[in-house]
Amino acid sequence: MNDLIIGMAGSGGDGIVSAGESLISALSREGYYGILTKSFGSQIRGGESSCRLRVATTPVLNPGGTLSVAIVLNWEDFMRFGGELPVGPDTVVIYEKKTGVEPSEVPLRVRPAVVMAVPMAEIAMKAAHALQAKNNVVLGLLAGWFGLGRQAILEGIRRKFGKKGPEVLQANEQAFAAGFEYSEQHPLGADYRMAPPVAVGVKRQVTDGNEQCAAAALFAGCKFFGGYPITPATEVMQHLQKDIWKHGGSLLQAEDEIAGIASAVGASYAGRKAMTATSGPGLSLKTEVLGLASLAELPLVCVNVQRGGPSTGLPTKPEQADLFAAAFSSHGDTVRPILAPISVEDMFGITVEAFNVAEEYQTPVIVLSDQEIAQRKDIVDAVDTSRFKLVERLQPNAQELQNYTRFRLTDSGISPISHPGMKGGSYLAAGIEHNEAGAPSSSGEMHAKMNDKRLRKLSPLLQRRDLFVVEGNPDAAIGVIGWGSIAGVVLEAVRTARAQGIDVKLLIPKLIYPIAEGIYQDFFRSLRHGLVVEQSHQGQLHRIIRMWTDVPKSFTSMAKSGANPITPGDVLQRIVHLSSGSASAPAPALNPTH
Amino acid sequence: MSTTTDCGCQPTPATYTVKDFRSNLKPIWCPGCGDYGVVTALYRALVNIGRPPHEIAFISGIGCSSRIPGYTTAYGFNTVHGRALPIAQGIKMANPDLTVLVAGGDGDGFSIGGGHVPHAIRRNLDLTYIVMDNHIYGLTKGQLSPTTPRGSKTPTSSYGSIEEPVNPLLYVLAYGAGFVAQGVPADMEGLANLIEEAIRYPGFAFVNIQSPCITFGEPDDQLKAQKTRMRKLAAEGHDPSNRLRAMELAQAYGTELYTGVFYRNPNPPITYDQHIRDRQAELQPTAAEE
Ligand SMILES: Cc1ncc(C[n+]2csc(CCOP(=O)(O)OP(=O)(O)O)c2C)c(N)n1
Ligand code: SF4
Repeated sequence: MNDLIIGMAGSGGDGIVSAGESLISALSREGYYGILTKSFGSQIRGGESSCRLRVATTPVLNPGGTLSVAIVLNWEDFMRFGGELPVGPDTVVIYEKKTGVEPSEVPLRVRPAVVMAVPMAEIAMKAAHALQAKNNVVLGLLAGWFGLGRQAILEGIRRKFGKKGPEVLQANEQAFAAGFEYSEQHPLGADYRMAPPVAVGVKRQVTDGNEQCAAAALFAGCKFFGGYPITPATEVMQHLQKDIWKHGGSLLQAEDEIAGIASAVGASYAGRKAMTATSGPGLSLKTEVLGLASLAELPLVCVNVQRGGPSTGLPTKPEQADLFAAAFSSHGDTVRPILAPISVEDMFGITVEAFNVAEEYQTPVIVLSDQEIAQRKDIVDAVDTSRFKLVERLQPNAQELQNYTRFRLTDSGISPISHPGMKGGSYLAAGIEHNEAGAPSSSGEMHAKMNDKRLRKLSPLLQRRDLFVVEGNPDAAIGVIGWGSIAGVVLEAVRTARAQGIDVKLLIPKLIYPIAEGIYQDFFRSLRHGLVVEQSHQGQLHRIIRMWTDVPKSFTSMAKSGANPITPGDVLQRIVHLSSGSASAPAPALNPTH
Repeated sequence: MSTTTDCGCQPTPATYTVKDFRSNLKPIWCPGCGDYGVVTALYRALVNIGRPPHEIAFISGIGCSSRIPGYTTAYGFNTVHGRALPIAQGIKMANPDLTVLVAGGDGDGFSIGGGHVPHAIRRNLDLTYIVMDNHIYGLTKGQLSPTTPRGSKTPTSSYGSIEEPVNPLLYVLAYGAGFVAQGVPADMEGLANLIEEAIRYPGFAFVNIQSPCITFGEPDDQLKAQKTRMRKLAAEGHDPSNRLRAMELAQAYGTELYTGVFYRNPNPPITYDQHIRDRQAELQPTAAEE
């Protein structure tokens, strides 16, 4: 096999998530690619927990659908995760014998390929005299049956338990060995072992989107972070607080989200690159100050890691339903471009891009990440930072400082920005509309000119084709659009469809807003069927695209509420369906202007 | 002009005049508004401080009083209602070399922005926070403010207010502010001195200025009345290093009009911005050279 999806579930004390983490680290060292997603019940500690690990010899695009392997420590916990851990006819199900369930009576709707009861607790007790060692028994079983990084896992166990004394280490090594031995004595019937990794010379790391976001911010020259803890965005602040000082920057855990973004706006006004990060409820609070940054033309990066909403919603689950809130955030004609990463790896580049756009156009930028990208662990190649260029804000030159005009109406809309400390550059920044010099103004004519200035600045952004992933035959009649963490799902589905001979193309926007009309219009030209795949009940991107462009007559939405996984298989099915119907479909036509 | 202050710090020889700090923006305040006196006192204090205007960042919220940064030649930021303090803290953290002044109304500071005040105090960045306390919402035309006396009839309390006002002096004293003073524009010289002293205090300094609203305020709150009502704390023999006594005197807010320094911490602790510099230097010695 060269693509394996393992799903495991147990109660908090079973250490199933920690087993997943050990496994992905080991596989990274072995040279595999992988994605680990974790899922927990609502309890802070204890309660049910699960993880999915997809491992492959080539880069993994998404967590995948149906499990190849299910590890069940107890059935109640496993069943609670429902659609997150789907079992199919090809799945190998391995479960704790102690559950007392007969293999013929497992509570599954389908008949899996293999069902095997293993006395995991008993093996752990015998080998290690400790129930906690159960997860290393599981790792032993996986290493044996699926040929997964035996040496690397052992190395990991040594690293993890070495510090805890020779006895603890030995117990865990023995648990692993006992699991491995059990697998050898009880073959699965068929060979399920992974193909060896395709060796490549690049360094790999196991990382998540929040970590990449923090690393990229520091790389981009971020010197200030102000924020308030909120799941699933907190780790951005947690990572930054360790390192930002070393870069001559500082960080404020503010009293609330408003103070978080406000302090960042202050730091930006003081001339530094600044950032805040939050999730839905925090975004709601930040919007007034976001508008201030837009009107005062202050660069700012605001990361919003989407979780299930509205209100507190589903704090630990992914959703893509903050798009409306972000695109229409703050009152008036607020300007705030939105960028979205398409993978953990991409989070680095998108964060750097967000700083660049913010500084170049002197505007707040929202990065719409989501819980999955933020918190899942991916094995990625080490970032090659040499491919990034950093942008600094345009500052007034000596001549301009002779008679400084902060909001000069230039052709590009961009006017040089000074900062406190710069002699000759004093001006009044304000949330109130102003004239070119910065003096308050309520003239309609001036207001229109300034609105136009702020919007005009962004025109070059709408031509940025590098912020869109396009794949497939440009003349294809079927076109699929996806964004954020769903992009990886759509990519796989479209590639699979094309491998099956279906003529379909793909568009993945990383610039989500403003809508780059021209780029969408080009994509739509050949289409009979357009499909937007996304994780929000209303299909928010589908609707926003319709607001701005003339869409193909058949322009449908495949949208699910958050926490309902969308798998490559689901999308493939839709594409197959569209392709079988498209032969008889009417000629491509675009809707009249709305 | 240079004034000796009673804080023991050295007055800076004046190299600037009031003209250097006055912008060419014409104030839109009503004739007779107390805020005119505040900005004049501020010019005088800044002359004495002697820092060039471009090294001063002056942040405000929204309200009549919050217009004040625009009337100075400092770097001004007239932000949104209630958020001047967190914005100012970001500025000071990003560039601790700046002199950072914050100003706003009683509504801006103790109603919508009230939640930020305790945190600004406990962090103790070196900021000066000036509240122009007129006991009313001026800009929105005379509604109840958090410091409006109980029983007041306003456009949002036709039958009289039925809530207790906030006591700004006690509020900031209770949260541990290191410098707390109150002034009135009726005593221009005293007010200029207080603002200067507040700026010189190394840490969070608060000046409550009873700045009358001539249009919506009470007649007995106006400048003329202030002159007869005000009682100088120094003349009362108050020792400003006595925090408990300061709190006792502050209880009289709303009845007695005390002016002067209520409290000045005789041993100012290390400021937040200094901690930041130290941490940056400790973790990355080259950061200081940036
Ligand atoms: C979020 C928000 N809410 C309400 C307002 C309207 N508003 C502007 S100033 C103000 C109160 C003004 O009173 P104060 O802060 O005491 O300042 P003053 O005008 O008296 O100097 C209000 C309610 C606003 N600008 N923003
Ligand atoms: S309304 Fe009151 S506070 Fe506002 S400018 Fe007029 S007098 Fe001053």
